[in-house]
Amino acid sequence: MKRRIEIGILLSRTGGYAAISNASFTGAMNAIRKVNEDPAFAIELSPVVRDPEGQIDLYAPQCKSILKDSTARHILGCVTSWSRKEVLPVLERADATLWYAVPYEGFEASDHVVYMHACPNQHLLPLLDWAMPRFGKRMHLVASNYIWGWEINRLAREVVTTSGGEITGERHLSLGETGVEDMVDEIIEIRPDFIMNSLIGPSQYSFVKALKARMPGLPILSCNLTECELPLMGEAADGLIAAGPYFHAPGLDFANSHEAAAYASTMEMARLFHAHPGGENLPLADLLALDNGAGPIDAQTHHTALPALIAKAEGGRFVVQQSLPARPGDPYLTRPERHHRRPSLRIVT
Amino acid sequence: MSGRVRILDLAGARAAILHRPHGNVSAIERQLRAIGLSVESHWPELPPDLSVDFLFFDVDMGFDTQFAWKPGESPMPMIALIGSEAPGRIEWSLSHGAHAQLLKPVGDNGVYSALLIARAAFEAHHRSASRIEELRERLSARETVVRAVMALMAQGMSDEVAFASLRRMATDRRESFEAAAARIIARHDHPKSNGSGS
Repeated sequence: MKRRIEIGILLSRTGGYAAISNASFTGAMNAIRKVNEDPAFAIELSPVVRDPEGQIDLYAPQCKSILKDSTARHILGCVTSWSRKEVLPVLERADATLWYAVPYEGFEASDHVVYMHACPNQHLLPLLDWAMPRFGKRMHLVASNYIWGWEINRLAREVVTTSGGEITGERHLSLGETGVEDMVDEIIEIRPDFIMNSLIGPSQYSFVKALKARMPGLPILSCNLTECELPLMGEAADGLIAAGPYFHAPGLDFANSHEAAAYASTMEMARLFHAHPGGENLPLADLLALDNGAGPIDAQTHHTALPALIAKAEGGRFVVQQSLPARPGDPYLTRPERHHRRPSLRIVT
Repeated sequence: MSGRVRILDLAGARAAILHRPHGNVSAIERQLRAIGLSVESHWPELPPDLSVDFLFFDVDMGFDTQFAWKPGESPMPMIALIGSEAPGRIEWSLSHGAHAQLLKPVGDNGVYSALLIARAAFEAHHRSASRIEELRERLSARETVVRAVMALMAQGMSDEVAFASLRRMATDRRESFEAAAARIIARHDHPKSNGSGS
């Protein structure tokens, strides 16, 4: 008889970034099915699902609802950093844990969060290291107007200007805004070497389509784009460049890195709960202390080691251009030995 | 002064916490280690060979003789750990030149922003202190400048020409206006040494 453990799933399966949430949802559900069918696990996972519909003010109440209406103390979810920041106080009060499985901008190491996807030393830094020797150092920044865009831009600006590059402009759009003409006009006028794109959702889709139509050869780079959003841009997506820990290829299990990270998160929960009966009710720090470094989560930062891949979209899929081995997450960029910066003259294709 | 903070150079930074053993200390230590700093804790005395980049100090139980430097002259950014918000304790904290603060109880966050704010305030304080010192020196040399101009005017220059001449001497020898004035006076007071080249 398996021990039944409830876990929360807090994902906006509708709204502006539903494609990403649904990829995460698929990964979590596949992992739950796998655990429940596998007799080697002494536990059975039972999902307690809430859908905040992409509305920021629904995250804290729905997180509370999971914690009040079920025994779940571990919740997989949130896509935007804004929503993660909304649930942090709720988690802290309940000593509960969020498993956050999408790329983010770093500068956080909560005692109540596991960061299972990439942070800047695993996406932005390798991406810029790869891009500058190829395209040049005149970078143009476009971003959605919230913390992901602001921080990615701030860091990209610091890295590029430190290497002697130039920022040709920085433009922001409100979340959901699709009026991109001024932004595109300006880029046509300036002709930068490449675009660092931190737009999300419909803004990104409109921007990519509009810019591709007018300047198809200009490289557009992203730190959070995966296969799950390529169909939303159709042929305009061809040539987009993204950094991430995983891209799908024939023979690989997951459709995209969101699905892979949500699957890995859920499997790691299952491993911990199986190995440490009662661990599902412990605060994260206590559970990790009990586990004594047996899993992939760094006890100090709660981040994981991930490979850094650079890939280019071709015909609806990503083709890896460069693959760097796993490096530990360094959320505050204070551990330079974790950056493994490639000598900038070496060209690898 | 720009409001930009530098994030890429906290690597290898060290912090000390001056606070009795307590859950608050563990919470700060956890955050510091997560950020990537090394950390040491002391109470009630700091070691004489303390060598850290940041100091967190307890405002509730702290006292003057804990510090080896004069109030307000700490060699590193100081972050006040405030529990009781009593005005007397805040005054004491200010007298020691707290560059940032954290309220107790310390929870899951707050340390990173305190580090960046404390460092920025510490550096701003040092920039203004050295600027003030420089201005004070120039102010005290006012009399020297007036005497030098008068000495040049005694040689037949107009006041404008005298000022221009002083400024040119300073530029040529890459010295301050005040230093040039001091040399004019020395030459004027000891005319025989003129032309020795030194």
